[in-house]
Order: sequence, then structure tokens, then C-alpha cells
Amino acid sequence: MNEMSNDAATEIDALTLAVVRQKLLSVSEEIVETMVRTCFSPLLNQSRDLSAVVLDGEAQVVAQAERTPIHMGAMPFAVRAMAEDFHGRVGPNDVIMANDPYWGGSHLPDITLVKPVFRDNQLRFWVAIRAHQSDTGGISAGGYSPSATEIFHEGLRIPPVKLADGFGLRDDVLRMVCENTRKPEDTHGDILAMLASVNVGAERLDLLLDRYGTDRIDQCSAKILDAGEASMRAHIRQWKPGIYKSVSYLDHDGVSTERYPVPVTVTVREDEVEVDFREVGDQVAAYFNSPIANTSACVYIAFFYLSNDQQVLNEGSTRAIKILTRKGSLVDPVSPAPVTGCTTFAAAVIIESVIRAMAGAAPDVVVAGSARRFRYVIAGHEPGLGSYIYHYFSNKGGFGANNDEDGWVNVGGMQNPGGTPSASLERVESSYPFSIEEYALTTDTAGTGRQRGGAGGVVALRYRGTGSAVLNVAGEGTVIAPYGINEGTDGSPHSIWIERDGEKIELDGRSNDTPIEPGDLIVHRAAGGGGCGHPSDRARSMVKRDLEFGYISQDTAREAYKLTD
Amino acid sequence: MQIGVDIGGTFTDLVCIDDAGCLHTAKTPSTPDDPSRGVMEGLSLLAERMALTLQAMLPATGLFIHGSTVATNLVVERKGAELGLITTAGFRDVIELRDGSKQNRYNIRMAPPEPLIERPKRLEVDERVNSKGEVEIPLDEDGIRAAIRSLQDKQVEGLVVLFLHSHRNGVHEKRVREIVAESDWAPFISLSHEVLRRDGEYDRISTAAVNAYVGPGLGGYLQRLASKLGEEGLEAPVLVMQSTGGVLPLDHAVRHAVGAVTSGPAGGAMAGAMFAKLADEPRVVTYDMGGTSTDICLIEDGKPLERQETQLGEVKIAVPALDISALGAGGGSIAWIDPGGILDLGPHSAGASPGPACYDQGGTQPTLTDANLVLGLIASETFLGGRLALNRLRSIKALEEHVAGPLGLTAEEAALAINALASARIAEGMRANTVRRGLDPREFTIFSFGGAGGLHAASVAQDLEIPRAIVPREASVLSALGFLAADVRHDYQRVVGKNLIDLKTEDLKIPFSEMEQEGLVALGNEGFTSKQIRFTRIADCRYLRQVYTIPVQVSAEDLLKEGDTLWMAEAFEKGYRALYRHTHDRNAIVVDSVRLVAYGTLPSLSLPKEELAGSDPVLAQRGTRQVYYGSMVETPCFWFDDLKPGMKLTGPALVDSESTTVALPEQYGAVIDSYGSLVITPLEKLS
Repeated sequence: MNEMSNDAATEIDALTLAVVRQKLLSVSEEIVETMVRTCFSPLLNQSRDLSAVVLDGEAQVVAQAERTPIHMGAMPFAVRAMAEDFHGRVGPNDVIMANDPYWGGSHLPDITLVKPVFRDNQLRFWVAIRAHQSDTGGISAGGYSPSATEIFHEGLRIPPVKLADGFGLRDDVLRMVCENTRKPEDTHGDILAMLASVNVGAERLDLLLDRYGTDRIDQCSAKILDAGEASMRAHIRQWKPGIYKSVSYLDHDGVSTERYPVPVTVTVREDEVEVDFREVGDQVAAYFNSPIANTSACVYIAFFYLSNDQQVLNEGSTRAIKILTRKGSLVDPVSPAPVTGCTTFAAAVIIESVIRAMAGAAPDVVVAGSARRFRYVIAGHEPGLGSYIYHYFSNKGGFGANNDEDGWVNVGGMQNPGGTPSASLERVESSYPFSIEEYALTTDTAGTGRQRGGAGGVVALRYRGTGSAVLNVAGEGTVIAPYGINEGTDGSPHSIWIERDGEKIELDGRSNDTPIEPGDLIVHRAAGGGGCGHPSDRARSMVKRDLEFGYISQDTAREAYKLTD
Repeated sequence: MQIGVDIGGTFTDLVCIDDAGCLHTAKTPSTPDDPSRGVMEGLSLLAERMALTLQAMLPATGLFIHGSTVATNLVVERKGAELGLITTAGFRDVIELRDGSKQNRYNIRMAPPEPLIERPKRLEVDERVNSKGEVEIPLDEDGIRAAIRSLQDKQVEGLVVLFLHSHRNGVHEKRVREIVAESDWAPFISLSHEVLRRDGEYDRISTAAVNAYVGPGLGGYLQRLASKLGEEGLEAPVLVMQSTGGVLPLDHAVRHAVGAVTSGPAGGAMAGAMFAKLADEPRVVTYDMGGTSTDICLIEDGKPLERQETQLGEVKIAVPALDISALGAGGGSIAWIDPGGILDLGPHSAGASPGPACYDQGGTQPTLTDANLVLGLIASETFLGGRLALNRLRSIKALEEHVAGPLGLTAEEAALAINALASARIAEGMRANTVRRGLDPREFTIFSFGGAGGLHAASVAQDLEIPRAIVPREASVLSALGFLAADVRHDYQRVVGKNLIDLKTEDLKIPFSEMEQEGLVALGNEGFTSKQIRFTRIADCRYLRQVYTIPVQVSAEDLLKEGDTLWMAEAFEKGYRALYRHTHDRNAIVVDSVRLVAYGTLPSLSLPKEELAGSDPVLAQRGTRQVYYGSMVETPCFWFDDLKPGMKLTGPALVDSESTTVALPEQYGAVIDSYGSLVITPLEKLS
């Protein structure tokens, strides 16, 4: 009898498992859609810098609605920190909130809300949403402050607190958070929208528990995680075992002008990998530090990139990946290290470091380096327009090549390739006192290789205001070029300069408070992606095409590609 | 007589409403090498069904509406025209740089998209119009002439012209066309401001390039078809279905070829809208399940929802289209065990060739159709009218090898799991489409069509707690029928780009009047009288800090108001609140652009309504089938065409027709309404 019912359970599982997986995924999508539809800050509902996950009772992710890759691997750290902190003191109507990097978070603008789902007095699920807030206090609006030397300069820290409990929403807590931001109304609206979203998710999970019962749902969760693990291990088995070392660099650590190395040792054993960052140097007094949740998310992203079954991979996959760090280092800082740049600047470098190390183990699936995040701001005042701040988000730079394909153009860095679309230049011209004189691909910026990197672009912006304005550059990758891989060559780094009266004034990635005058031409030449494979192995027809198309010069065709005819 | 012809990937569907209001249908295999052949064959078959010759039917046809996948295939298969570009100096790479986005962020090893225009054929000339529309640098006409010679030498068939801010002042783009006309070169010409009259250099060039890429091919095909039809006696103009659900006369449709690229699913949505009106259903969600995908569309108050942009792979098309979203689940979708060991369905499809394993054409992978055959839901005798013998043993073999074996299940159990997964996927797809717009799926009625839809309608309704699911009798040719519900439609747009508070109603009246005038002239030339012409007006508004707009309807009465535009702010806030449940009272509202849709009303379609008969369906029963619902259940089968209005069915039951099968599970029943449609409801609601 017992055996028969077991059989029956197995029979029903294939069907239930497939359907429940689909439904859990749809719950996470519905959480995100609810958020997009109800969030208040006008930017958030359009940039969609938010993500949602459904976790089992053990705070392991069983379904995710991915909008921002860097959120995904990091969120379980936050949920586990909250679950541990409130262990035994959490009830069905509670919602916990946190953003603190030293309590499982990533950086302060990312606030996470978590709600538990109970059945039969047992915790069965957590639902969580993370959304990037337009402001959480600190020295600079928006949180990205190059001058912050401690996390206290970066904004309000929220360690795990209850936003709602058995008595409903805690207005006192919400008020305390909102009043510490520059946009209290936006923050208030966004947090309430996040609350509505986790409530919707919890309701949907309740219905799933009604329909399938706790045992079957538990079985499904376990199998979904096991499937992610099995798939990751199957991939690792295809890679060459061994110990692989690599290093990638930040342009500088924000304090000195020296480049900052992020070395890694990856050990590939039969069906598991160990990623050792213990040689990384000390945390720095600038926003490049990456809390352990963010560092881990970067490692997972790197391995997700290297695999082919992204739809199957999940938190179960991370059981095959062990991460070693040293407390107090850049990749596992302790309070009060500032961290706002972790999801962008540091993330790109950590992901690159791991992927580069894997070139020895998995040369077929690694990817060459890509343009890093490069932005600038022009602030000025114009009669009729008033004070304005223009954020330059265009011209993201080339992506790295891989064993089979050339790199993409204009999608930018490893941490979020092709994230948000850029504003049209016509819109920029009609909104600001600028004219754009060129927006084009550049010759010889791409790394050479059997597969070539994506070329960088150039934007030449003429400042046509009536008085002086100020240019602030915040970009990584003016020193460090996107790396080539498997004998491909590096792409060229970002560069930026001002042309004034026939003179060229070179700037770098942190040229703050640079005055600009009417008639100045500000030129940003974006980095090109790295190449993959030896350039002399590139198909001759493709080299000729690159030459004809102007992606490479005669010199490069002859010297790097050895084109003879 | 009114004829609708829809060329799909596998079949060409034809419908005719004769002068007595009777509906006739025909279906023939599509002929992709020359689609017009399939059309002519289908028309002959249609005439035969009406006991007419082709030569007798065509001259008596007053309305001929045609839709095809010709334009879509040219883009998808990358077989369009050789293109050249003339553009503002410094900007030849806009089409290659794109907008900095990438659809699939995790797959970083996929091939970069190839631009539709090769770099050496993208030529720059000196000219500059600023953002106010003022000429800052005059057009270098000698440069244009040199560029023209160069592109002509390069065998370019389609010329795209993109100058910055041409939506503000198109004089330079127009001048290029004049200069080409003075030469001995006659390429297909696509001026960016004529294809899309708004800002966004990437959106304009991408859309204009698609237009020129498909224009010559679509034009060649339509001309060929029109001349064949003319030879056989058709006098009525050939009207071409657009992605907006409207139609355009042939020559205009060729000039605006981009409008046909995503027109494929529009007919079905239009038919859904027509039935929604007939059945007086305020909110309908249609799903059209075919061989490779399921198209979902929401209809509110008899109108399918629209969008202003479509992404076809990495190609952006910024022209209005019905907002139809596609799920990768169809009858040909392949079931497989993913690398983690869990059953999954699609997105790979066995397509029409080799097709499902049961087609016995070399397919060895189990598809949804194989699963449904093994379950007994479909049967060889009735599938496609029995014209295609199905080999159940092949289905069982494929299922056992790829799904049942690895999971330790019987073939029937595996089939049931695949069927359930397909229903769950459609249900969740519908839920996402409603939730995304702030709507509750339970307030909708499901409208199911396409060959594979009826098997899942009841399960999907149950899953979403939707009270009714309607399967029309013409389910399999519905798209062609939907064509006949369309009107001629011209879309116009003007950029405003101003804060609402700085605008007077009179400021909005000017662009709307201009566009109305253009619409009146265009429709007048096409023979419409002022009584047959109607307009809808939309203002695309957003909050200052936002990027995306929401559409605000503007009525003719609104434009008679004088002074401030508070009325529009109120309308915007109402729409914003419906979507996002709040408003930003202290934020400025911006009007990005205003749009006008000018309709030329075509003869309306009236479907024959039948008298109610008795409720007993016994005369329509054709035997039984063994269906697997966990165990084999002997299930009565009914023939759809024999079911008369008023007849009631109780599940479990199957309803077969030549083109589809509808499944009624145990707790469900159905009644035939006066249009012959099957209306599925939970048994307790079967009145």
C-alpha cells in the first residue's frame, strides 16, 4: 500500500512539477508587474530596476522574475539575514524591510521587502522584491558619491526592520525612512507599492498551497532546486579540471591613482568549482567595495554566462560553486566601507576576473572583456530652461567576442549588457543647449581576434549654452582596456577630451567640476570589446569585410590580421 | 460579395459572405514559392463551394481584403531588398548602434544583429536641420547626386533617407526624392519622416529601413496577385491587411509596406472584436493557438488594444499595431526533459515539416499534438477533416523515448502532463497580459480559435476563474473572417513636445486639423464620402520625468473647447490612475505627440443568426472516443456543424469539426449560441 501511494506520488509529480514550476515563475512575474504598475517614482516604473523572487521556507530561491541580473544572486543573502534575525519572531502578517549591505544587502539604494507565507503554522515560502530607489539620503542625490569615504556618507542604512506586523503597516517606520530621503513622497509611494506587490505574491502562493497541498509543493521546490544543481554540475563536468588564476583591475581605487587588482583563483574539480578571492587587497575608502552578497551574485552571473541552460539554473546551481573571501577585503568589506559602486563598477571587474580565469577550463564558452560603465553629467543654467542636469547614458561601448561570434556594439558592460535603452540624440538636442555633431562607430577600437570585439562608438557633443557649465565624468575603463581572450587582443579603453580653439584637453574617468565654455566640443570615444582567438585565424573574407566596412584600418589588416592581398 | 483571404504559414484561409449574407469558407495549403498560386487555388475552391466558377465569382465581388506573411517572411528570413542609406554627416551608424538595448541579457554569446543596411552603403551628406526645424546647414545637392550614383552602382534596390529632425522639417528628405526622380534611377524610396513622423533617430531609421527592405518584395507579390485577379475578372480594389487591424489600398500598402510586417495575427484579433460586439462582451481575451505559437490579445469595448512599437527579434518597428503577444506554445511545440530533469514544452517546434511524430513525415520528437492524440482528444478520422492520417504508434514511440521513459511514466501519463503544461502556460500568459494593464482576468471572456485552441479553452477558463469561453464555429478561418470586419485606416502623427500647461486647446487643434485634412484627402481619393469617414484622436502624454507615454483619447468636442487644457490633464490622470493606481499631482505633464486615425468605413459585416432549436444534441453525436483523464473514459463526440443553436452539451464530451476539436472536461458544459458559437461554462452555470 505504502509503495503504491509512493508510485502515485511519483506519477503525479512529473505533471505537477512542470505545472507548479510554471506557476511559481508566474507568481514572481506578477509581483514585478504589480510593482511596475503601482510604484510611484516616475523613473522606477520605466527603468524597471527591480526584481522579485519566490523562496522556499529555507530562503532558497525557487522562482525569479529577472529584471536586473545583479539583483538575483544577491537577494537570498538579504532574505536569509532577515529570516535569521527575526527567527521565531515572524508571523503571517509581517513584512520585513532592509537595505543594509552589512546585513545581507548590496548597496543602499536597493531596498528589499520580504513577506513570509505560512501554512499549518509552518513557514512555507518567502516572497521578496528589491527595487532601486531614486534617493536614500547621503552626500549626493541618488547615492553615487565619489567623495564618500564611509557608508554613513552614502545614505540611510536600514538593517532588518518590520515594516508591517500583526497590527498592519508601521507608519512610524515608513515615515522614518522616507524623511531620510530627498524624495520622501516618491519613496513613500514606492515602498507602499513594494508592499502591495509582496502581498499579491503571498496571496497567489496561498492559492497554490490550497490547490496542490504543502507536501507536493515542497517536493516541487526541492526538485526545482535539485534540477538547477544537476544542470550546473553537468556543465562543470564538461570543463577541464585544474587550478586557474587570473586578475582584473579597477582603473583606480578612488583614493590613489594606482590601478586596483582583483585577483582570483578558480579551482575546477569534477563537478564543482571553488572561487577564491582571498588574495584581493583591503577594502578602500571609496565606493568600489563589494559586499559579500554582491560579490557572490557576480560569481553566479559569471557561471550563468558560461552555461547554456539559463532557464534551468537557479539557486540550487550555486551549491556547486564555493566562494572564498577574506573579511575586510574589497570583495567582502566590513562596515563602514562605502559600497554604492558595487553593482556596476566593482561588479564588472569581479565578473571579468572569474570569466578570464575560466578561459583555461572552458575556452569554448568564455567571453572577452567589454566596455565598462562610463557616464558624464553636464550641469548648467540657461535662460528659458533654468538649471538643468544632463545625464549622458549613450554610447555604452563594445562587448567582447566569444569563440563563435563577434562582439555586439553599444551594449556596454558585463554587469548588465544592453540594460536600459538610451535616449534619442534628437531628444537630447531638443531638451538641452547642445548639438551632437557625430555619433558613429570608430575604426580599430575593437580588439582583434578570430572573432573580433564589438567596436566602440564616438559621441561628439558641442556645448552651445550662453555661459559656462560644469562637466563631471564618472567612468570606469579609461585606463583598463577590455581584455582579449584565447590569444585575441584587448579592445581600446574609453577616452574623453574637450576640443577648444583647436586645442585638445584630455580628461579621465573622474574629472570632476571641469568648467566648459560655449563652443567646446566634448568627445567621448567608447571602449571596444576584446577579441577572441588568434587574429591570423580570422576568415580572410571577414578580414576583408572588416576593412571594407571600416571597422579596421589597412594597418591593422596587415599587421594584426596578416592580410596579404 | 465580400471575400477575405489570409495566407498563413501552413494554410491559406478564405471566407466569403455572399449577397444573401451566407458564409462560405475554404482552406488550401499555402504555396510559399509563389503565394499567389495558393490564393488562386483557394479562390477556385471557394467558388466551387458556392457552385460558381472563379470567373463568375470575382466580378461579383465588391470587397476583397487580403493579408499575407510575405512581408513578415522577408524580414524573418532576411530576404528583403538590397538597401542603401543617405543620412546626415556624422550619423551613418545609427542603425548599427541601435538604442543600446539587448533582448536577452544572460545570453552573451549570441551573434550580434546584422543591420538591414550594410555599412559601405550608408552614405553621409552635409545638411543640418535643428530641433526647431530650422535649416542650419543647407543640403549639399551635389553630394546627394554623388551618393545616388554610388548607390546605383552598388545595385541598391531600396533607398532609405534619414536626416536628423526631419519629423520637424522634412524638406531635405523630400528634396532627395526629387533629385532621385531627376536621375535615371528608380529605387523604392523610404523617407524617415514619412514612415514615422516623430523624434527618435533610431526608431525612424529602423522603421524606414524595414519599410524599404520589404517594400519591393511585397510590391512585386501584390502586383502579381492583382494582375492574376484582374485577368479572372476582379474589379474591386485589392485591400491589404495592416498590423493596425485596418486595411490600405494596394499602392498605398506597398509604399507603407512596414505596416504589413506584423499583420499576421491582426485578423484574428479583429474577428475577436467583432464577436465581442455581437455577444455584447465588454472585455474579451482572444487566444489563437496554431502550430508554433499562441497569440494573445485583449479587447476592450469592442476594440483590440494597440501599441506603438513592435520588436521583431532585434529589429524595432515603430508603427502602430494591435497589441498581440505571442507565447511559444502551439500544437507543434516539442515536449522535452530539460537538463535538470523537469518536463518542459517548447519553444522549439516541429513546425509543418517534419511536423509532429504522428504526421509520419519523419518527426521523432513528441509534440503537443502527439500528446493530444495519445490522450484520445484528437483522432485520425476527424483531424483536418480526416485528410491527414495520424499515426498514433509514432506518437507513443516519441513520447516513450523522450518523455515517458526518462520520467518513468506511461505514454498516456506523459501525454496528460504535456497537455496540462500547455494549458497552464496559456493561462499564465493570459494572466500576465491582463495584470500588466491593471485588469482582473476574471472580468474577461475567453475567445478561443486556431486549430489547437479548443482543447485547452475549458482548462484555461477554469484556471483563471473566467466564467465563459467562446469557440466560434469558424474558429479555423477566423483570421480571414476578421479581415471583413476591418475598415480602411490611415494613421497620422505630429510631434508636440510641450508642457501641457503651456498649451491652449487651440494649439492642439492646429495639428489635429492638419491631420484631418490629410485624412480627408486620402480617403476622398479612395472614394469615401464624408459620411463614411470617421476619426479617432489621441494625445501621447507623460509626466515630465518619465520616458514612456500613455495614450489620451481626444474627442471632436474636446477640441471645440477654448482656453486652457485642464480637460486633457484630467483625462491623462484618469488613464494614469487606471494603470498605476495613483497620480503625481505636482508633476508637469508633457504632450509628446498627437495622433489621428482616419477610418474609411467599409460595408459592414453581418453574420447570419440562426433560430434556436431544442436543447438535445443527440442528433449531432457521432460515436464516442476513449479519452485518458487519469483513466480511460468513454467520451461522446459531437460534430460541430450539426450542433444547432440552443443545443446543450455536458462534459466529458468532445466537439469535432473539420479544423478543430473542443474538449469539455467533466465539470464543464456548453451551449450553442445564435451565431453557432460554442459557449463553454462550468456545469452549474449552464442555464
